[in-house]
Amino acid sequence: MSRASKRPDSRMAVVRRWANLPLLLSVGLLIAYGAVIVHSAVSGFTAGDAMFRRHLVGVGLGLVPLAFLWAIDYKRLEGWLGPLVVLNALLIVSPLIPGLGGTAKGATAWLEIGGVRLFQPSEPAKILTIVIMAIVISQYRGAIERPRDVLRVLAFLALPFGLILLQPDLGTGLVLIFITMGMLLVGGLKPRYFLIFALVGAVGIGVVLRAGVLADYQVDRLLVFVQPDRDPQGAGYNLEQSKIAIGSGGLTGKGLGQGTQSNLNFLPERHTDFIFSVLGEELGFMGTVLLLGLYLALLMTALEISASSRDLLGSLIAVGIISMWTFQIMQNIGMTMGLMPITGIPLPFISFGSSFMIANLAGTGILLSVWARRSAV
Amino acid sequence: MATFREQLKSRYAALGIVFLSVLGVLLLRAWSMQVLSGDRFAEAAENNRVREVAVDAPRGRILDRNGVPLVSNRATLGVTVAPSAKDDEDMLYRLSVVLGMPLGEVKERVASTKEAALKPRLVAVDVSMTTVAYLAEHESEYPGVELSVVPVREYPNGTLAAHVLGYTGEISEESLESGEWEGYLLGDVVGKAGAERQFESVLQGQKGYRRVEVDALGSPRHVLEEAEPVAGRDVVLTIDIEVQRVAEEALQRALAEARADDFKNARAGAAIALDVRTGEVLAMASAPTYDPTLFIGGISTKNWEALNAKDSEYPLNNRAIQALYPPASTFKAITGMAGLEYGVTSLSHSYDCSGRWTGQGEEWSKFCWNRRGHGGVGFTRGISESCDIVFYEIGHTFYKRGREELQEFSRRFGLGSRLGIDLPGEVEGRVPDAAWKAEFNADYPEYRQWLPGDTVNISIGQGDMLTTPLQMAGVYAGIANDGDIMRPHVLKEVLDSKGEPVRAFEPEIVVSTGVSESILRTMHNSLLAVTERGTGASAFRGFGAEVAGKTGTAEVAGKDDYAWFTAYAPADDPKYAVAVLLEQGGHGGAIAAPAAREILAALLGLPVEHVQATDVSR
Repeated sequence: MSRASKRPDSRMAVVRRWANLPLLLSVGLLIAYGAVIVHSAVSGFTAGDAMFRRHLVGVGLGLVPLAFLWAIDYKRLEGWLGPLVVLNALLIVSPLIPGLGGTAKGATAWLEIGGVRLFQPSEPAKILTIVIMAIVISQYRGAIERPRDVLRVLAFLALPFGLILLQPDLGTGLVLIFITMGMLLVGGLKPRYFLIFALVGAVGIGVVLRAGVLADYQVDRLLVFVQPDRDPQGAGYNLEQSKIAIGSGGLTGKGLGQGTQSNLNFLPERHTDFIFSVLGEELGFMGTVLLLGLYLALLMTALEISASSRDLLGSLIAVGIISMWTFQIMQNIGMTMGLMPITGIPLPFISFGSSFMIANLAGTGILLSVWARRSAV
Repeated sequence: MATFREQLKSRYAALGIVFLSVLGVLLLRAWSMQVLSGDRFAEAAENNRVREVAVDAPRGRILDRNGVPLVSNRATLGVTVAPSAKDDEDMLYRLSVVLGMPLGEVKERVASTKEAALKPRLVAVDVSMTTVAYLAEHESEYPGVELSVVPVREYPNGTLAAHVLGYTGEISEESLESGEWEGYLLGDVVGKAGAERQFESVLQGQKGYRRVEVDALGSPRHVLEEAEPVAGRDVVLTIDIEVQRVAEEALQRALAEARADDFKNARAGAAIALDVRTGEVLAMASAPTYDPTLFIGGISTKNWEALNAKDSEYPLNNRAIQALYPPASTFKAITGMAGLEYGVTSLSHSYDCSGRWTGQGEEWSKFCWNRRGHGGVGFTRGISESCDIVFYEIGHTFYKRGREELQEFSRRFGLGSRLGIDLPGEVEGRVPDAAWKAEFNADYPEYRQWLPGDTVNISIGQGDMLTTPLQMAGVYAGIANDGDIMRPHVLKEVLDSKGEPVRAFEPEIVVSTGVSESILRTMHNSLLAVTERGTGASAFRGFGAEVAGKTGTAEVAGKDDYAWFTAYAPADDPKYAVAVLLEQGGHGGAIAAPAAREILAALLGLPVEHVQATDVSR
């Protein structure tokens, strides 16, 4: 292999060894697709051009952690479990430290220094949690059977989850749970525990709804999900307008930049949480099929990477990232079409938002790292 | 036992199934929404973005017969408040102070249900420039308050002809539901009374519309489609503004004079001038009057209540067509002609007036207004001196004939039914007969019987006989016009957008009395004698034209006497008929005849002079 780089075909082989082209291609296409839609969504804003540039800058910044994580061997992270847990906890609570936090839409989710918004710590925290949980779960070598092991694993989840609810950011909390479940599924948790989780979860939701743990706006959103016409001018209004946007797109859409629901501001948060509504309105069912097709390619490729890992840790990290994307796709698109309650979860690679984009590109970097160090086939 | 790698396969399969089903569900949902229900959502999106806004058409003007504007339009600055601000007590209080209006009224207008739900409520019009400037500067302190230019009705002549013109107002929810205003929208400004109401369909014009693309806040982005409104048509009335002015002044002066002359309760009355050949109404006055500008921008509850208060004499009432009075001696022309037609009396007939009449027996004796008696009285003097005994006799004879001929004859002159004037609210009056009395007193059997006294009473225009001033003007116009009463009307013509007449009122006969020329001639001569040497002579001395007329002094239970004068002129070639009535004004010849003289002078182009007259007849 040492002289391989001298011949064109062997140069290609090196690229193939290190890079997963289908992954890079599907991520690249999704980012490009997202940029087109974001451009259309923000063009009606007064600062639209600046926002679009900021979106592209986010993509550029994301290439840094992507390259870094791709370059290092994920295996080296294994020895850093303790520091990672502490770093993760600090990240999540940082916005709550007086002088560092910024509040938006009822959640103190921004890290702010001197009034300058840096990023949303919950985004890197998702990636960190994936790594932490992968390290912990992989320690059981594919068989988590004893209750005390289960409790230990859950304890590692409970810390970031509990802290994220302090912001409060229910959406990210749910992402963390879903990620962990996916990893436990592949990581060898006995099926009976999933039944127990489901039971405890159902009871937990009931208790939470009754006990007033959730903020009013969160309860509103959940109730609207159950009964959308409950308050069409309030919380239900957003959902109704989103559905009208998507449905009115029809088969082929109204054309890029031609969405009336979007341009006339009927759609709330059209460049972030409701970006799919813009896509659905302007590009129609065809655009939806293209998007879901790209996601399918992305997830299949990631699954292949997971399966190709030389060790359980790599597999689990990949599964965590797959779970994160799957849940966010389901939650975000499902919410815009009234299948899921409204939470502030953006659409991977598509939504406007730098922190989120950077985190997803970091995830892509880890997947590439796993792929690059796969076992020889 | 399977190796871990082998176990992983099934776990990956489970994971794959999870995300495949997630993507599958999303795809199915998108298919259902975008492909299957796409049309429905597309329609919802259209409804979201497109608003249709009605553009009011300028309302047509109302002109007098010579084209002088009686009602026109002007633009004024108004203050509107969004209905959503109705609970902002603090802001509304501050606004009421700025506008100098009672807080209650401001609140009432903002909470009005007369408007479409989201339409801003008009709170004040004709706002001063200082107030406008203040509100514009302090915009942020008055959320929901906006300044806008609103078109309103203008009355260049103040209260002149207020009853003929009527007023406008917004359609309320109740009246919209009643079906009276089909094709109109809540809050549209429409004619509510008088000519404004009567000619609403031509005055209103046709609304334009604008289809506007709006954003989520309802702010218009651009116009998709629009149609200009078609302005309402101008309506030309038969009213002559000069005659109208004289009529109203004469009415006011007569009332003032009556009050100065022992008739303290003289506060209301009516006057009408008709063209006997066409039925055109040249003047129609009713006292007391009201200020139509009170209705601009919506009348306040306080003003509305004041206009309808019990002690207000109901100024909104057009007494010329909406009030009923005993015609008193002005009715004697009808009794006289009926007597001539049925041979009950004749020119050669002589009556003996001792001041007291015992035709129905001593116990039912009645008096002439002249207690000393007129002595020997013929037909003509019976009219000119208004001798009651003559008409008691005629009435009594009619009773004895038992055929209700007097009533039938009255109806031939349009009494007891509407003349069909083109103004809302005309009442029909009453010609009492045996059937009416039986019905009217259905619950009082002892009063159901038609008695000789009933016919005797109506023969002098008293008893249960009730007429409008318009009807009595019509009776005299009929005598003047060879027995044909023309339909009274106020519409002369409707103008098109270039000011050319497009629709003119064609004169039509409303009742043809069929009374012979010789009877009409006899009555004409008798009526002429009234102003030459009879009860109206004092009021018409030195008038400058021959006038055929009749005084009347009606007795109304619990009230002072009501004064009447009805006439037509010039006597040799009658052109105009006039009726004047003054509630509790006293004697017809003394108080009503001088007012009629002034109106006739204006009609005939003679100097309008006010004369002091005396008359003690009834």
